[in-house]
Amino acid sequence: MDIELLEIRDFLAANHPFDQLPEAALSELPTRLQVRYFRRDTVISETNSLDNYLYLIRTGAVEMFSAENELLARLGEGDVFGYRASRRPNQIEHHCTALEDALIYQLSAQDVDRLCEHHTQFAYFFGSVVGDRLRDAVSHAAQVTHSQVNLITTPISELLKREPVSISPSASIYETAKKMAEERVSSILVIAKGQLAGIVTDRDLRNRVVAEALDVNLPITEIMTFNPTSLKEDAFAFQAQLHMARHNIHHLPITRGEGIAGMITATDLTKHQTTSVVYMVSDIFKQDNIQHMREVADKIPDLLVNMAAAEASADSVGHVITSITDAITTRLLQLAEERLGAPPVRYVWVAAGSQARNEQTAKSDQDNCMIIDDTYDPKLHGDYFKELAKFVCDGLNACGYVYCPGEMMATNDKWRQPLRVWKEYFSNWITQPEPMSLMLTSVFFDMRRVYGSRNLFRDIADHALEMTRGNRIFLAFMSGNALSHQPPIGFFRNFVLIKGGEHNQTFDVKHNGIVPIVDLARVYSLAAGSKSVNTLDRLEVVAEGGEITSEGARDLKDALEFISYLRIQHQARLIKAGQPADNFMSPDHLSHFERNHLKDAFSVVRSMQNVLSQRYKM
Amino acid sequence: MSIWKFLFNLDERRNWYLRKMPEGPLRSYYESSFPANDTDWRQVDYLALDFETTGLDKRKDEILSIGFAPIRGQSIRLSEADHFLARPVSAIPEASAVIHGILDDTASVARPLEEVLPRLLKALESKVLLAHHAAIEYEFLSCACKKIYGYPFIGPVVDTLALEVRIFRSMDKPIRSGDLRLDKARQRYNLPRYPAHNALIDAIAAGELFLAQGTYRRKRRPLQLKDMTVIT
Repeated sequence: MDIELLEIRDFLAANHPFDQLPEAALSELPTRLQVRYFRRDTVISETNSLDNYLYLIRTGAVEMFSAENELLARLGEGDVFGYRASRRPNQIEHHCTALEDALIYQLSAQDVDRLCEHHTQFAYFFGSVVGDRLRDAVSHAAQVTHSQVNLITTPISELLKREPVSISPSASIYETAKKMAEERVSSILVIAKGQLAGIVTDRDLRNRVVAEALDVNLPITEIMTFNPTSLKEDAFAFQAQLHMARHNIHHLPITRGEGIAGMITATDLTKHQTTSVVYMVSDIFKQDNIQHMREVADKIPDLLVNMAAAEASADSVGHVITSITDAITTRLLQLAEERLGAPPVRYVWVAAGSQARNEQTAKSDQDNCMIIDDTYDPKLHGDYFKELAKFVCDGLNACGYVYCPGEMMATNDKWRQPLRVWKEYFSNWITQPEPMSLMLTSVFFDMRRVYGSRNLFRDIADHALEMTRGNRIFLAFMSGNALSHQPPIGFFRNFVLIKGGEHNQTFDVKHNGIVPIVDLARVYSLAAGSKSVNTLDRLEVVAEGGEITSEGARDLKDALEFISYLRIQHQARLIKAGQPADNFMSPDHLSHFERNHLKDAFSVVRSMQNVLSQRYKM
Repeated sequence: MSIWKFLFNLDERRNWYLRKMPEGPLRSYYESSFPANDTDWRQVDYLALDFETTGLDKRKDEILSIGFAPIRGQSIRLSEADHFLARPVSAIPEASAVIHGILDDTASVARPLEEVLPRLLKALESKVLLAHHAAIEYEFLSCACKKIYGYPFIGPVVDTLALEVRIFRSMDKPIRSGDLRLDKARQRYNLPRYPAHNALIDAIAAGELFLAQGTYRRKRRPLQLKDMTVIT
C-alpha cells in the first residue's frame, strides 16, 4: 500500500510521547488512528469509553473535569488524554469537553498497549506510577557529562578506595612509621576503642620527630594531632575539599555512622578536577575587606551558569552555592570579631530559610538571627552584638545577599536575643499559632548554625523540637499553612493554568513549585521530631520513621529535584542573557518533555498535600 | 445528467442496471443497497474520496491517483484508508503535473486504471461517496465505469463544497471568491492546514471538513442523509 500520511506522521513525531518512538513505528502509526471532530462545548465521550482510547489533540482545546466538575486540566494542540488515566491507581473519575472546535486523533487501547510493550521509552509516559516517570526525567536531566562536576555530584564514599589504615594509641612512633611505610600511606589514623583518637601524617614525622630529633620509641600520642576534624561519608567530595581548604589540612578522616570509613587526601581529590568553588571559598577566607569579598561573591552567577551547563544536580548546586554564603558569613563574623574584639559572652550565628536548608541559588535574600548566652546584659553587651550584627548583615548585603524584606535578620533587635527569650518565642509560636507566628515558624524552624557556640544552638533546637513533636494542634496549623501554596494544574498552550481555570503568563517556580514541597517536608519532619533541615534529608528521615510512605517520599524528592533543576537552568539562561536571575518561568521556555514532567511533579505534590490535609484535619 | 435522474430514484436506477449488467466489479457494487435517505446522517457510512487527474475534462482527461478513507460512526478510519496510482494512456500534461506532482516516470510503473478501479468500487459498497467539489470525482468515476464496464456509476453523493454553500446561505453570509476552497473552508472550522497535496490527504481533508460541517448543520428535526447529499 502506497499510503502517504506524512502530515500526520510529522505531527506525531513532534509530540511527546510519540517522539519517543523509532522511525518504523512512527511511520506505521498514522494508519492506526481514527479522526474525530468535536464542536465547541460538546462532551468528548463517556467516562468509561475515554479509557478505551488514547486521544491526541490535533487542533483546538479540551477541558477535563472531575465528577464534581472541578477543572482538572486544560489541554491544547499536541496534548494527550484518555487511555493513560485508567492505568493510574486512584485516578479520579473525569469527563472531557471541547473548549474550542477540536480535531482529535484516537488510538485504541490495544494499539497503545502494543506500542508500550515494544518501546520502553514510550511506555514510561504511561507508567502506573508518576514517580517512575519523574525519576526517569531527573536522571535524564542530570546526567553528569563533565568530569568537572564529579566533585560536586560525587559522594565521598565513592572516592574511598581502601579500608582505613589505623594503629592503636599504645604503638610507638617507630611502629607507626613502619606501618605507614608498609601500607604505603602518607597518613594514619589512631583509633582507640573503635573511636577516632588522632591522626599522624608524613609531615608530622618530619616536623615533630626528625626535625626535633625525638626518640622514636615514645608513644605515638606524643606527636599525633588529637581529635582531628572529620566528615561523614555521605558528604559531597567538594565539601571535603572545602573542609581541607578551610582548615589547611591535606588528610581528612571520613566517618560512617559511629565508626571510621576511611581517609581522603588532597591528592585523591586533585585526581578529579578541582572546581572553582574551592578557590572561591579559600579566596573568601583570605580577604580582609568587604570590597574584595564582594568581588568573589560576584562570581556566583558564573558558577551557577557553569554548573547548569554541566547539568549538576539541583541538590549539589544548592550545597555549593550555600557553602559560599556560609564562607562569606563566617569570614564576616571573623572580621567583625577582629574589629570589635572577642565577644563578651557566647553567641551563635544562625542561618534561617534556604541558607539553613542548603538550598540557595543565584537569587537569595539573607535570613539570619543571633542567639546569645543567657548571661547577656543589654546594658553591658548590647552595643557589641548590635555592631556585630550590623557589620555582618551590611557585609552580606554588599556581597549581593540583599536585606530580608521581612526584616528577619540579626540586625533586628527582636532576632538578636538571649537563649531564654528565644525559648519564649518558640513557646509562644507553638502554643498560640496564629498567621504571623506560623509565618515566622516556617522561617525559624529551618535553622542551621553557621558560626559560634554549638551548645547554644543545640539548646534552642532541642527546645523547639520538644514542643512540636506529637503536638497535633500545632502540626495541624502548620499543615494548614503548608497547603497555602499550591502548584498549578498544568499548562495550556503558553499559559500556566491555575486552580479555577485562571491563566498566568508565568510560573512562579519558587512559590508554586519548590515552597510547597519544602513546607510538606517541614511539617512531617517536625512531627517526627527530626533535626534535619535540608528538604531531601528531611524526606529521607520521615520516610524511615514511617511518617509518609517511602514511595511518597521518593516521589517528592524527585519532584523537588526536577523542579529545582529547571529553576537552575532558567536562572542560568537569564544570567547568560545579562539579566538578573529570578523565579518566574515562561511556559515558552519549557520543552514538551519538561512540561509533561512538571505536570507529573505537580500531581505528586498535590496528592501529597491531600494526604497531609487528611492527616491533620482541622 | 440524463432525464432518468428526474424520473427514477437511485435505487430504481440501480435495480434497472442490475437486470442487464454482466458479472464484474461494478455489478458487485450495485448488488449492495444504497444507504436509505431518511437514515440519521450519523448512522451512515461514507467514503471520503479524491482523484488527481490529468485535467478537468472527464471525456479527454484521465485519473492518475485515487485516495480514500472511510467514515463510520463519525470517525475517519485511517486503518482502512488507501492510496494508489493509475497508469494513464497518454502523457501527463505539464500543467497538471505542477499541481499533483505525479510525473510520467512515476505513473508509468503504476497499474492501468481497469486493474485498480475494482478496489475503489469494493470500498464504495453500501457507502456514500464524499468529496469536495464532488462533481469531478463522480463524473470521472462514472466515465471510467462506462469505458471499462459499459455502464455508468451512480450512487448517493455528499459534496462538502455544496454543504458549505448551504451553510453560508443559512447564515445569510455573502460568499467571496476563494471562500469555498477546501483549505479556506477548513480554516473556518479550526481544522489544520495540510501543505502537501495528494489524493489521500485531500480525501482525509474533505472527510474532516464533513465531520465539522455535520456538527454545525442545524435543523428542527435530527439531520438525515438527505440533508447532506447532492445526489439522492
